[in-house]
Amino acid sequence: MSTTRKLWLLAGAVLLALAVTPFLGIIAIDPRAVLQQGPVSFIFWQLRLPRALLGFAAGGILALSGLVCQNLFKNDLATPDLLGISSGAAAGAVIALKFKVASTFLGSGGTALFSFLGALAAILAIFAIARMIRSSSLYTFLMSGIAINFFFSSVIVICQYVFDFTDTFSLLRWLTGAIVVAGYKEVFFLLALLAVFLAFVLMFREEFLLVAAGDDFALTRGLDVAAFRKYSFLGLAVFVGAAVSLCGPIGFVALVVPHVSRSWGGSRYRETAGLTVLLGGGLLVLADFLARSLLPPVEVPVGIVTSFLGAPFFLALLLSQLKRSA
Amino acid sequence: MAGMIEARKLSYAASRKPILRDLDFVVEANDFVLVFGANGAGKSTLLRVLAGMLRKSTGEVRLAGRGLESYSRRELATRLSYLPQADEFTLPLLVRDILLAGRYPYRSLFQKLTRRDMEAFTAGVAQFGLDGLLTRNIQTLSGGERKKVLLAGAFIQDVPLILLDEPLNFLDPGSARRLVRMLQELHREGRTIIVVSHEIERFFPLATKMLALQDGALRYFGARTFSTPLFQDVYGVPFQRITAAGREIIFVDD
Repeated sequence: MSTTRKLWLLAGAVLLALAVTPFLGIIAIDPRAVLQQGPVSFIFWQLRLPRALLGFAAGGILALSGLVCQNLFKNDLATPDLLGISSGAAAGAVIALKFKVASTFLGSGGTALFSFLGALAAILAIFAIARMIRSSSLYTFLMSGIAINFFFSSVIVICQYVFDFTDTFSLLRWLTGAIVVAGYKEVFFLLALLAVFLAFVLMFREEFLLVAAGDDFALTRGLDVAAFRKYSFLGLAVFVGAAVSLCGPIGFVALVVPHVSRSWGGSRYRETAGLTVLLGGGLLVLADFLARSLLPPVEVPVGIVTSFLGAPFFLALLLSQLKRSA
Repeated sequence: MAGMIEARKLSYAASRKPILRDLDFVVEANDFVLVFGANGAGKSTLLRVLAGMLRKSTGEVRLAGRGLESYSRRELATRLSYLPQADEFTLPLLVRDILLAGRYPYRSLFQKLTRRDMEAFTAGVAQFGLDGLLTRNIQTLSGGERKKVLLAGAFIQDVPLILLDEPLNFLDPGSARRLVRMLQELHREGRTIIVVSHEIERFFPLATKMLALQDGALRYFGARTFSTPLFQDVYGVPFQRITAAGREIIFVDD
C-alpha cells in the first residue's frame, strides 16, 4: 500500500475516533440528544469532545517531538521522556502551581511558561553533560537522561510534600498524565501549536534530513549544524512545555509513534511527519477513551495506559538495538 | 595567482596538545595530493581543518585567495566537499535524498529544485551508475555502495575541491578499484583532489603532489617523487619501486 494511501486511511480512522469516542464511555450518549439542551449535550460538548480534541493535539505534539528529538540526536531511543525533557517540563509546571504563579499574574500561560523553562533546563543539562565527557553516544544520553529524570522527580516530590492534601491528589493525577479539560481555550491553543509545530517540521525538512545524515555530512553540505540544533531544541522546549503543562508528562507516545510511522513512511520525511501527527493524536484519543472506560466508575490517568503499553515496546526496541551494536 | 587552497603557518591544538605545527603549502588547481604519514601524525586533523570542519586553528588557510573563516557554511559548500572516514547513518534515509542534499547550498528556504539542480543530479546518477539504488535505504547498502553514493553526492554538489579521508577503508579490491577509477575521472574533469590514505601503493601512481606529515609537522610537500629515505622516515619500513606492465608499483620491502 502506498504511503499516501496509508496517510488518507489513517486520517479517516482518526476522524472516526474523534467523532465516535465522545459518544462512548461510562455513560453512552444517544446522538439525537446531543443537539438538545440538557445534561447529555453538556457532557458531549463541554466534556468529551474538547477532551478528545485536546488528547489529539497533545498526542500529535508529543509524537512529533519524539520524531524531531530522535532526528536531532540521530537515535531512535532519544525521546523527550527518556532524556528527561518531559520531567523538566513537569517540574516547571509543578513549581508554577505550587507558588500560584498561574493564578496570580499570568493565567494558565504561566504554567506553560514555567514548563518551557523546565524543559529548557533539562536540554541545557543534557548538552552540558555531553560536552563535559565529550561524547554523544546513546549510552551517555540515556544515562544522563536517568540522572535528569531523578533530579526533576525529586523537585516534584519536594513540591508535593509542601502541597495541601487536596492539591496533591489532582497533582498526582496530572503527573501521571491526564487529559483534563477546563475549556475550549486550551484546546484551541494546543491545536494551533500542533499546526505550527508541523509547519516548522515540514518547512525545515531538508535541514532535518541533513542532520539525520550526520554532523560532518550536514556541515560539508552547507548547514550550520550547531545553530540549527540550538534553535530546534529551543522550539522543542516550547512545544513539549505546552503539551506537558496541559496534560502532564504522558510517557512513551514520543517513543512508540515515530518508530511505527517511520517504518510506514519508508524514510520519506514529509509522509513520516504527517503519519506521526495522525498516529500520535489518534493513539492518545483511544488511550484516553480506554482510560476513562476500562474500570468504571474509576478513571485511570491516560499516562498509565500509555506506559503500560509502551514500556514493553521500549524494552523490545532497546534489546534489538543492543543486539545490532553487539 | 593564488593557489586553490593554501596553508600559512597553520597550527592546530586539541586541549593544548599540538596536533599540527606550522604548516606551509600551496595546493594548485587540478592537483591530486596524496597526504600520508604514520598513525597519529595529524593527517585527518589537517583534512578537517582544510575542509572547515575544525575551526580555531592558528595561522591561516586560504581558499581561492580568501581566508577560510570568511566563508559562510553555504558558500564553503559550493567550493569544497569533505568525505569523512566513516559515515554516520544511524537513521534510515533514501539514497535519492542523500544525493539531492548536494544541491542544498545552492538553494534558499522554500526554493524548489531548479533545472540546474536536476541536471547535476541526473548527471551524477548516470556517471556513478546509481539508477537502481535511488529508492533504497542507505543503511541497507554495502560499504562500497555507500562510498560510491557519498562520492556521487560530492559530484552533484559540483565543487572544484574534494577532500577524502581514507576512502578505501573496508572496501574489497573490486570496489576499491571502481572508487579509484571514479576519483581519477573527477580529477581528469579538472577537479582538485586531496586524499588522506595509508594505501600509498594505490594512490602513489595517481598523485601529482605528495604531502608527508610527521608528528604534526610537514616532512615533505612537493611534486610526486619516489624517495626511499622519505618513506623510510615516515613509516619506518623500507619501500621499493618497480615498473611492471607499464605501471609504476611501489611496495613495502620486507
